[in-house]
Amino acid sequence: MNAVEVRGLTKRYGNVHALQGIDLSVPEGMIFGLLGSNGAGKSTLIKALVGALKPNSGDWQVLGLNPLRDQAKLRALIGYMPQGVALYEDLSARENLRFFGSAHGVPELEQRIQAALEFTELTSRAEHAVYGFSGGMKKRVSLACALLHQPRMLFLDEPTAAVDPHLKVRSWQLFRELANAGTTLFISTHLMDEALLCDRLAIQQAGKILIVDTPQAILEHGQTQLTIQAAGQTSNQQIASTPSALAESLRGYGLNPAVQTIALQPDSLETIVLRMLQQSEVAK
Amino acid sequence: MSRILIVAKRVLTQLRHDKRLLGLSVMAPLLIIYLLKIFFDTMPKGFNNARYIMPITAFMVHFLAFLLCAIVLVQERTAGTLERMFINGFRRIEIIGGYVLGYILLATFQAVIALAEALWLFDLSYAWGDLALLFGVIWLLAITSVMLGMFISTFARHEGQVFPFIPLIILPSVFLSGLLINPEQLPTWANWLGHAFPLFYANDAIQEIIGKTPSSSVIWTNIVILLGYGLFLLTLASRTLKDVE
Repeated sequence: MNAVEVRGLTKRYGNVHALQGIDLSVPEGMIFGLLGSNGAGKSTLIKALVGALKPNSGDWQVLGLNPLRDQAKLRALIGYMPQGVALYEDLSARENLRFFGSAHGVPELEQRIQAALEFTELTSRAEHAVYGFSGGMKKRVSLACALLHQPRMLFLDEPTAAVDPHLKVRSWQLFRELANAGTTLFISTHLMDEALLCDRLAIQQAGKILIVDTPQAILEHGQTQLTIQAAGQTSNQQIASTPSALAESLRGYGLNPAVQTIALQPDSLETIVLRMLQQSEVAK
Repeated sequence: MSRILIVAKRVLTQLRHDKRLLGLSVMAPLLIIYLLKIFFDTMPKGFNNARYIMPITAFMVHFLAFLLCAIVLVQERTAGTLERMFINGFRRIEIIGGYVLGYILLATFQAVIALAEALWLFDLSYAWGDLALLFGVIWLLAITSVMLGMFISTFARHEGQVFPFIPLIILPSVFLSGLLINPEQLPTWANWLGHAFPLFYANDAIQEIIGKTPSSSVIWTNIVILLGYGLFLLTLASRTLKDVE
């Protein structure tokens, strides 16, 4: 069973079409990345999936449940970390965790809170009011709140934005551990390095999904600059970023001892995504 | 029930942490009652202080309960914590119940100390039964105010948008609910409009309780109307507090 199954999902805010016929399937137990620029509709899609927003049309299911009709059942199974901080700033980190953990009736809550505080490296600030925290620290508390009840599926809306590189690496290690243990993670991001860590990636632009594939397959949509120096001559070629295209280009040189250097400069994911976005703009 | 208590506990913990807000919301009514004492001391002898003091005490609890609840709920919405509460499985009725319970404890505290100060400063004395009724009316008004704050908060996108409702809803009730003059002296339409405010029924009950010949039927009728008003606002609040955008 797919964790998420979406067909023809639309959402309008007046004249603004936030979601324009989204089709999406997310298999269980993987890290699914949703990549897109600001205003692409990523948060709107996540809100529809967690049942916080009523789409105008379409069919959508999460863990086999309708997010609106089966709201109570679904909310026990999912964890959600919104893009904003969404914490009680007058309360301490521990009090925030205790409050959101209590809602789910988490067993051994205090031990889990302690473990979450240790993971997010907030133990020394656990009793401090959140309003004094930096943006990154607030994100860490927010992430800990989403993890407390060990949900079957996690929706994380830009979870590591403004988080320091060290915790970012630790977060992605945890995301991978959770996915290995069977949790499905649906993560929105606009950071390309993070997108490459996902098992599957969807690129969203202006409320539409442009492509869904593995990051490797999306990289193969790019071009590679192939530079070969042979017998004192330099040749430049633009080839497709696929192993077969590379093999084809090199075949002409055989094992020619005159070949001195071969340099490959494949397009970055960022370049590929930007090109896709531009093409989608032109196609409108 | 337990999740109502969880929300109420969180509301109270927040208030406890926000010492400035808590201090001001308790001290402000006390200061105003003291200023009223200075003002009423300038009135000629035999002036009926109680006719104004008791409803003004009720008004202050009403105003603060309304304002605090509306602003905090708007903050919940803008900060995303309300959405997070819903997604974490809290139901509307649990959130409303928690808010009412949390704020009612604050309102009870406000009502007790404001009443005590008014009785002491103005040297007023009533039978225990009348005091209990006075307290009950103010308490009920406070619950209604929390509901009103909750309902109004749905029309505000940020805290600043709560304030226009003060001249729209709160201030007219001062002039039309009989706080300052008998509503029967007002033009008919204004008298009828006054009936739209919960303060009208609280004031009517209070005037009856502290009057020379109290009519228990008038008192209880007003209490029942106030209760009905609270239930009506509870229904409105529970319909407008949306868990889905």
